[in-house]
Amino acid sequence: MLVFTRKRDETIMIGDGIEVRVLRIGREGVRLGVTAPAEVPVHRREVYDLIRDENRRAAETTRPAQALAAVRARPMRSGGRGD
Amino acid sequence: MTPVTNAHADAEAPRTEIDTPFGRFLVAPHERVRFPSGIPGFEDCREFVLLSPGDLGALSCLQSLAGPPASFLVVDPRHVLPQYRCALGTTDLMRLGAGADTLLLWLAIVSTDEAGRAYANLRAPIVINPERMLGYQVVPHNSLYPLRQPLASD
Repeated sequence: MLVFTRKRDETIMIGDGIEVRVLRIGREGVRLGVTAPAEVPVHRREVYDLIRDENRRAAETTRPAQALAAVRARPMRSGGRGD
Repeated sequence: MTPVTNAHADAEAPRTEIDTPFGRFLVAPHERVRFPSGIPGFEDCREFVLLSPGDLGALSCLQSLAGPPASFLVVDPRHVLPQYRCALGTTDLMRLGAGADTLLLWLAIVSTDEAGRAYANLRAPIVINPERMLGYQVVPHNSLYPLRQPLASD
């Protein structure tokens, strides 16, 4: 891991188009500003991990019989179309 | 998407045969949706097709075509929660090659638990721009919608 010491308003560059700037240093945390091209996704790690885990679970549990049985046993709402 | 039984009818487009948990399908090139960064946990799945076999009812199947085989059941989030609203930022729209007026296709991934109950992920919907056949999964950090919304309405 590359380790930097940065002060407020200082930045690091990653590759061509990615810049991370220290906006504020507080007691509770460091506020960072990330500039990146649109095609580069930038996420909070814990949010990404949560959704990644849910996706993996969904891919494992889409045994069609099980999911369909669950849906059929308790029919979904039919409202809300076309509003 | 065409059932395999029609395979002999059209020899023009180079279609790909794929096996899914819901049977075998023929996929034409224009039916492929590109996901440039995959989806979280399936970053190498860069292409999907949306299949709607009749026996799935309101559900569809989002099946990967490139990368590891992955298959998701999906549902229109408004079918689960009629008042569902999710706003996309300019970066999201840019990523989809969409303008503010572009009609987008929204899908919530369905999962089941050990007890067989089904849930829809309303927090991180899949969004597809049909005009560009581009898709990605929104990863919002401040959504109030649940990761597991029960599919049943009581």
